Amino acid sequence: MQKGFDQLTYYEMLDIRPDAAPFEVRHAYNAALSMYQPGALASYSFFSEEERQEILSLIETAYRTLISDQARREYDEELIRRGELDVRPEAPPPPKKTAPCFDISRAPVVKAVFNPLPDYRDRIRQSELIGGILAKGELRGADLKQIRTELGVAVEQIAKETKIRRDHLLNMEEDRIARLPATVFLKGFVKSYLKCLCVEPVEELSARYMKTVSSRSPS
Amino acid sequence: MAHLWPIGGGKGGSGKSFLTSSLGRLSAELGKKTLVIDLDLGSANLHTLVGVPYPQKGLSDFIRKKISRLEDAVVETPQANLFLISGAHDNFDIANLPYEQKIKTLRAITKLKYERILLDLGAGTSFNTLDFFLISQNGIFITTPEPTSVENVYRLIRAIYFRRIRYCFNASQFKALESETDRQFGNGAMNKPIYMMKMIAKTDVEKYRQLQEEFGAYRFKLVINQVRKHDNTALGLQMSRMMERHLGLHVEFAGNVAYDDHVHDAICQQVCFLERYSYTKTAGDLREVGKQVVHATGRQLMLHYM
Ligand SMILES: Nc1ncnc2c1ncn2[C@@H]1O[C@H](COP(=O)(O)OP(=O)(O)O)[C@@H](O)[C@H]1O
Ligand SMILES: [Mg+2]
Repeated sequence: MQKGFDQLTYYEMLDIRPDAAPFEVRHAYNAALSMYQPGALASYSFFSEEERQEILSLIETAYRTLISDQARREYDEELIRRGELDVRPEAPPPPKKTAPCFDISRAPVVKAVFNPLPDYRDRIRQSELIGGILAKGELRGADLKQIRTELGVAVEQIAKETKIRRDHLLNMEEDRIARLPATVFLKGFVKSYLKCLCVEPVEELSARYMKTVSSRSPS
Repeated sequence: MAHLWPIGGGKGGSGKSFLTSSLGRLSAELGKKTLVIDLDLGSANLHTLVGVPYPQKGLSDFIRKKISRLEDAVVETPQANLFLISGAHDNFDIANLPYEQKIKTLRAITKLKYERILLDLGAGTSFNTLDFFLISQNGIFITTPEPTSVENVYRLIRAIYFRRIRYCFNASQFKALESETDRQFGNGAMNKPIYMMKMIAKTDVEKYRQLQEEFGAYRFKLVINQVRKHDNTALGLQMSRMMERHLGLHVEFAGNVAYDDHVHDAICQQVCFLERYSYTKTAGDLREVGKQVVHATGRQLMLHYM
């Protein structure tokens, strides 16, 4: 029988072999997102909203597990225990690293639908609204959204540019605190978001955002 | 026995008739005796695309019993080796074709003495459209890279899946199966066909195996038409992956066909696009798709369940 998606191993979900290198994991993850993301044409009308969310969160877990050395090792051990993965022969010593001659980008060949975003710095300097937001002591998701709309940028554009999933971006912008990803990811996300809109200084603002989020989370 | 390729899917306007006529012509050029049949009875226009503006007879004459043998409804086209059964003069929808008429037509089609037969099906998912699609395992789905068209292809595929399951049961069994599936997996689940198969796996292993085998034997193809410069060229592969993975259906991506305004020009001038604009990318794409299609490997006829 066709296995349900939730019964696949993380390797099967991302459609990679158990010995895939980290760059292959990353590539496969991006490929999966381009198929299953809300708005992806290939899966348009294929799932109900809940089915899609479930698949996306499985893909997210699969990616996070397989991209982390530690988590992947533990997961492999679990698979071996369940008999779903053959014990891997002792890995040969890693070949001596040669210095790369070319900076080959491993980014997946996702066709950019939007042009790369322009430099917004001048417009940000001239905008009273954005100036006001940046002068405040806290920085919420709603503020990010205001900056974005002031600059006339679509969420989809940010998603393309930063490779952050659209629903993550929306959760951030709508301040759905409970649905935000783990702190380590969130920090990276907000930095990419700010960078992509040329909102500076990134370090300081992302720290401010993180502080705002943690002060509002229930813990 | 003839090789049969039903062509369906997408929306009206996605290019079914254009693809049918183009593939028909390519096949005829190879010296194969080829027949194209217009089954889009409500909005027949295949005759126009193969250069027969005023067909003297057609399918309606067979259905209305003015012609008793289907082969007598065939007309020639200007292209050597290319023949047509027109759907013009029919002001009823294929959806309304009575059951006996349909079976009679299906049987007659499979008995025609041609090397290759292409069926131009209308949009929509009426039982009759589904049955004509299931006449062979080599059905070709066509879609444009637009949500509306993709949605229609997925809808058609699900409908075909259901229809095939339906053949295995009598009406009351099927009804029971359906409501039990709803009860267990929730109503309105998009992947209901899969859930239904899960139910069958539990209740009737023999039927389940038979269906698995049947679904596994399909050699459907998918063509993405009217692809423009900025469209995602990976769409076809991704859709094929989706159907394989989530429906267990093998639908091979047969290629992208570029959008080209000359298609419109050719149709308006009533000339054959492949001939007049043979140097265009679109014409090259069609020839590629043509090569893909003729290598079909599935069993041809599956009328045994009717
Ligand atoms: N590859 C293409 N490039 C440009 N236009 C196309 C292409 N394919 C189809 N068309 C246009 O779409 C119209 C509808 O095509 P048609 O084959 O009649 O669709 P269908 O039979 O699916 O309703 C044609 O008249 C033609 O102008
Ligand atoms: Mg048509």
